[in-house]
Amino acid sequence: MESAAVPVEAGGVAPGDKGLKSGALGYLSNLVIGVASTAPGYSLAATLGFVTAVAGMGFHAPAIMIVSFIPMLLIAAAYSYMNKADPDCGTSFTWVTRAMGPRLGWLTGWAIVAADVIVMATLAYIAGVYTFLLFGLDAAATNTLDISIAAAVWIALMTWICWRGIELSARIQYFLLGMEIFVLALFAVVALIQVYSGSAGLHAVHPALSWFSPFGIPGGSTALIDGVLLGVFIYWGWDSGVCVNEESDNTSNGPGRAAVMSTVLLVLIYVVVSVSAQAWNGPNFLSNNSDDVLSALGGKVFGSPLDKLLIIAVLTSASASTQTTILPTARTTLSMARFGAIPKAFGRIHPRFLTPDVSTITMGVVSLIWTLFILNVSQNVLNDSITGLGFQIAFYYGLTGFACTIYYRKEIFKSFRNFIMVGVAPFLGGLLLTGIFVKAFHDYKTTSTVVNYTGGIVGIGTPVAIGVGLLVFGAILVVVSNFVYPEFFRRKRETAPEGFLEGPATGPAVDTVTPE
Amino acid sequence: MSEIVVGYDGTEGAKAGLEKAVEFAKALGDKVVIVFGYAPGGYGGGEVRAQREAAEELGEKLTKEANEIVSAAGVDHEIEMINERGAEALSDVASKRDARMIVVGSYGESPLAGAVLGRTAYKLVHVAERPVLVVRA
Repeated sequence: MESAAVPVEAGGVAPGDKGLKSGALGYLSNLVIGVASTAPGYSLAATLGFVTAVAGMGFHAPAIMIVSFIPMLLIAAAYSYMNKADPDCGTSFTWVTRAMGPRLGWLTGWAIVAADVIVMATLAYIAGVYTFLLFGLDAAATNTLDISIAAAVWIALMTWICWRGIELSARIQYFLLGMEIFVLALFAVVALIQVYSGSAGLHAVHPALSWFSPFGIPGGSTALIDGVLLGVFIYWGWDSGVCVNEESDNTSNGPGRAAVMSTVLLVLIYVVVSVSAQAWNGPNFLSNNSDDVLSALGGKVFGSPLDKLLIIAVLTSASASTQTTILPTARTTLSMARFGAIPKAFGRIHPRFLTPDVSTITMGVVSLIWTLFILNVSQNVLNDSITGLGFQIAFYYGLTGFACTIYYRKEIFKSFRNFIMVGVAPFLGGLLLTGIFVKAFHDYKTTSTVVNYTGGIVGIGTPVAIGVGLLVFGAILVVVSNFVYPEFFRRKRETAPEGFLEGPATGPAVDTVTPE
Repeated sequence: MSEIVVGYDGTEGAKAGLEKAVEFAKALGDKVVIVFGYAPGGYGGGEVRAQREAAEELGEKLTKEANEIVSAAGVDHEIEMINERGAEALSDVASKRDARMIVVGSYGESPLAGAVLGRTAYKLVHVAERPVLVVRA
């Protein structure tokens, strides 16, 4: 009575059939993922002080929050459409590979990984410092050795969580994110009340309309662009919510609306918090406390013990951010391995947890080494590395924008909607980011410590040395990989299937990693 | 004739579970349904295709292994691969087929860790609508 094994596709149990996974909750979870992966609390804690500290920024940090969002919005269109055709976990790497060829694709993958490794240092740093502050260990929060230990523990813990594939239940995620937004809003409201009632800091200023204007920044377009490079970092990760999980929702409208809502929410949070933060005691206070703006302000605005709320919000935000850094990176290298672009081992999946274990652990170890190195070189190098990150993000986001227009080039003129959404918007986003990249390159390549935090490495500004230097190194690796993985580098460019955007939504345009 | 659903991931616990499932199937004249849930592990909210493909390949390899064990025992059987996470995959397949029971292995780990980490066996006993048999490795 032996029967042959017949693999059966799951019949009546498609994910969409399960009440919890679709509909309202799908929308809410997309919203949560969109906001959570950008980690507003952490992003503000890590960057607000640097934005106000840009030479000649004056009171215009809120304007930066608005302006930086524009290129991201345009690139989001690219993400959304590329994801529709090819929902692969390699994201930009696979899309650029398909649209623009294996060389640029490989470099894109490299940029993603490099940016994610670099950001781990500042994430772990913030997590370490805020953990100490939470428990009132103020001395440890300024001690490099203590911070290094805390950062190492943090990275190890987060890597382990990603390796084990542990997910918080949706309810806990909603609670944590809800709390993060609530605390940030409370902070903004309380700070503004104090500003208007005269109980704020010595250098308190009433908000003015000019704060929201990108024109009239004392430092002119230089300050604007340099600020936007940091702003790009603030919104980084937002795309996770846009390229919504293919399995979370099959309905066409849900993800789109969630993406729009999470966006509005994010811009609102960033603008309101930056306004109230600089109103409370002037922008100089933020610049002088750029390492831990929110804890410095929180202590003064909320007083004890309520200020701990803000610290907790930053910590939960940092933990969400660490996870949305490690996992996508591991998935990028997993995808690269399956494309045959890097060693096969990175494509390994853990038999029980079904996570990319080699990729995840490698990411953890590499970022641990980078973090310990950078923390112990100097605090200022860490500050400059945040600016450097902006170059890599601008690079691969920009390429993603161009990739979208190129991939869909035959579809662009088929409808007005196509023309705007897959033609103009992504391309313009790519152009803007290229412009920001080039301008910021000129501004930050100086070794002047007025612009940068450090005097530079081998005669070039540290942000450029880290940001662009690693891209150049990536280009060298592309040349080397050409010989090691000739198969991958022989891939042909692909375009969207004829009429893919017309008619009712079908499945993805490409089913596997192999070209047709 | 009824069916016995069994989860298999190649580990010691899974082997013990599979053996027990075969034993019961022989005694009861049941069919063994080897289930592998290949939904990728870790935080979702993104595109996971390459990871799922890798998981699917792994699943094919593992279920082949299980297939050999069950074939050798001469028990009627079938393989079902499903795009869901472990516990949900087993529970859903068992419900759909109105299986006699679900068999999984366990490793004798701490109950608290099982709850916190959401181990398959732990989760399964709470979500499954069909009876669950947990076999210790």
